[in-house]
Amino acid sequence: MDIGELKKQSDLSYNIAVAKRNALEKAHSRLIVVYREHIFRADAETICLVRTLKETMEKFFVLDTNDNPVEIIDPTEFLDLLIARNQEAISSYHRMSKTFGKRGD
Amino acid sequence: MFCFNTAEVDYHRILERCVPLIKKNLKLEITVVTNFETYKQLKPLGFVNYKFIEPELGNTKNGYEWRNVDRHMAYDLSPYDVTLVMDIDYFPFTDNLRQFLDTDYAFLVSKDAHDLTDVGSFDMRKWSMIDMVWATVFVFRKGPEARRVFDMVKYVKQYYHHFNEMYRIRAKNYRNDYAFAIALQQANGFATYDTMPLSIATLPPGCKVIEMTDTGIAWQYSDQINYTEHQDVHVLNKELADV
Repeated sequence: MDIGELKKQSDLSYNIAVAKRNALEKAHSRLIVVYREHIFRADAETICLVRTLKETMEKFFVLDTNDNPVEIIDPTEFLDLLIARNQEAISSYHRMSKTFGKRGD
Repeated sequence: MFCFNTAEVDYHRILERCVPLIKKNLKLEITVVTNFETYKQLKPLGFVNYKFIEPELGNTKNGYEWRNVDRHMAYDLSPYDVTLVMDIDYFPFTDNLRQFLDTDYAFLVSKDAHDLTDVGSFDMRKWSMIDMVWATVFVFRKGPEARRVFDMVKYVKQYYHHFNEMYRIRAKNYRNDYAFAIALQQANGFATYDTMPLSIATLPPGCKVIEMTDTGIAWQYSDQINYTEHQDVHVLNKELADV
């Protein structure tokens, strides 16, 4: 492989890395969700926390993204929202990631 | 939104790209604060409210006129209980921002930006003694708390030279980002304040937009060409008006 081809491959790899970083950032933006006037991230940590608390309590308290306490009075509704938003964001990232390999074809 | 043409940039043409995206994705009523000279250049944009003011002159950016100092009037000019203030070069390709109108926060602004080209970092912390906020997009709910923030912004603006020196801000021109950051810190007793957990996806000034559709944007930076779809983007290169 000559140096020209190596540079081309390097540029392509860089472009893919930037695209991946942007797609991940896009997913992170989409993970942000407002529930009962408070802001949350529908990430794995929040989902696991809510699911764990829901197993033992009918109502409980969690912190929003600004560390303000929020009472969750309908855990099922909240968990459903978190899971729906999480999967929407991650599946979009997955679809985008499938296009990375096709770049440069 | 605030929109004033200058001798160098037809900002109204950027506004014409932004308004349809707000209508399509955010589905919010729009009020544009502008002057009559700019308004005359605008093509029909459907139902949009206009408020006419004469922009305060005198600020510059990179040697060119920059009519950005009227943002502190947003509280008084807004006809809404809850207002989303946006730069006209922030293109909402999603409905992500809409949900922030449903919070009970008095004032929300973001502290982070994400460079889509991966070239610069937008890590503004090293350029001043204060954490900068991105006044590109913010939400406020009318009431005493938001009123206090805007009153503080007016005060900071009035004595901006002093605050600029005190916080050792590298940029010497007036920037809303710093004016709001200073006001929020002062108004909140030098303690932390609530923020919008968004990292604003941004294309830096040296990045050329080569195509823009109603779903996304493609750009060129040096020999790098890339694109994003269904992601809100803040475009700093004003040549966008010519795309």
